[in-house]
Amino acid sequence: MAKFDYVIAETIDDAVRLLNKPGIRSIPLAGGTDIYVAIRVNQPWFDRLVDIRRIPELTQITMEGDQIKLGAAVTFSHAIKSPLLQKAAPFLVEACKTIGGPAVRNCGTFGGNVSNAAACADTLPSLVCLEALANLRSPKGERQVKVEELITGPHETKIDKGELLTHFTFKAPPQHARSCFIKIGRRKAQSISRLSIAVIGTLDQYGKVETIHVCPGAAIATPIRFPSVEATLLGEKPGKEIIESAADQLVAEMIKSTGRRWSTEYKEIALKAIAERSLTKIFLEDGSSWK
Amino acid sequence: MEINFTLNQKPVSVDAPTDITLLALLRDHFKLTGTKEACEVGECGSCSVLLNGELVNSCLIAAPSVMGCEVTTIEGIHDEDGGPNDLQRNFISKGAVQCGFCIPGMVIAGEALLAIKSDPTRLEIREGLAGNLCRCTGYMQIVDAIETTANERAEKRNQEKREN
Repeated sequence: MAKFDYVIAETIDDAVRLLNKPGIRSIPLAGGTDIYVAIRVNQPWFDRLVDIRRIPELTQITMEGDQIKLGAAVTFSHAIKSPLLQKAAPFLVEACKTIGGPAVRNCGTFGGNVSNAAACADTLPSLVCLEALANLRSPKGERQVKVEELITGPHETKIDKGELLTHFTFKAPPQHARSCFIKIGRRKAQSISRLSIAVIGTLDQYGKVETIHVCPGAAIATPIRFPSVEATLLGEKPGKEIIESAADQLVAEMIKSTGRRWSTEYKEIALKAIAERSLTKIFLEDGSSWK
Repeated sequence: MEINFTLNQKPVSVDAPTDITLLALLRDHFKLTGTKEACEVGECGSCSVLLNGELVNSCLIAAPSVMGCEVTTIEGIHDEDGGPNDLQRNFISKGAVQCGFCIPGMVIAGEALLAIKSDPTRLEIREGLAGNLCRCTGYMQIVDAIETTANERAEKRNQEKREN
């Protein structure tokens, strides 16, 4: 007998109904790239997969006003090819390019990456920097939770049982925003992040930091921004020294959060380097295009 | 569960359990053993197939989810006479095949790449093969075979244009 059942959901309402059918533990299936790896080593923790990939709204990237809407079942390959995302959030596209190889990117989805909530999930730092909201649907209705608050620990989220993550929304960053995503992996492709960082910021007309969001990945248990690091940069004219001091502060914050571990000796050097590199890239190297 | 889909351009229907992967469906139910089973966690690419023309790892695909889709396996890649196609012949002539275990996946990944990029650079070929592991050849000959095929197909297209 099959260990679990499978059903295709045609619409969001259909999926929510199927996920909440009493007496059968159902979970959504999107790309399957995490689920099928997990059930190789663990017994299935569900009785039925509800395939949500054929729900049209869930596979679309659209813009309404200044809000970008990213369906939960949009694949990384789709995102990489999206002119809308390339323009509005290039650092999110860069993050997608670093995931797995072509076959995994053709299947893996944003909804899966976020709800699986691995500490090393590559789309999380950019989504957190964009202050993206996760839109959740259940029989009780809809709710929105910031991605930064949705993730409560490694592989732990606030998504309730029977709740469907339908899409993400975020405000398109201003035209003059510059962003960067850097990942350190053991090889160029098919590799899990050892450490990553996403940054996005703007300069004002005087060349001083107007906004800056910084979110490291795989550094601490959950992807969060560090307001104290951002405060170091805000209102300052970016230069080598201030960037170095912000990077030092980020490292100090990481150690405050995780304590000194076996990997800290490596991570403190590596995180400092990618923090400096990403901030230098957006504020100094891409600076010639600032106006 | 009855699964209907198109396999190597032929409509098929099969009664299979709901909890198996596309890889198991192909190998165990259709006896198409050209698609190889190795890591089963999406790392090695030896189970590569085309799903609606896109490269996927069949070990990570729910078998029933291919309902209504088009699946192409290595058995579906050949010349009109059933012999090896140009890409496969180039794998042979460039010495890209040693033990052969990864080759079905490599050929599928090569075809997937050439379908979306007819004139790839060597770097793009390497990126296209990033999810396919080979422990014998060191990849260079495989890249050579795909590059040569891209050039030959471009030349053929140009020739056809000149003739028309």
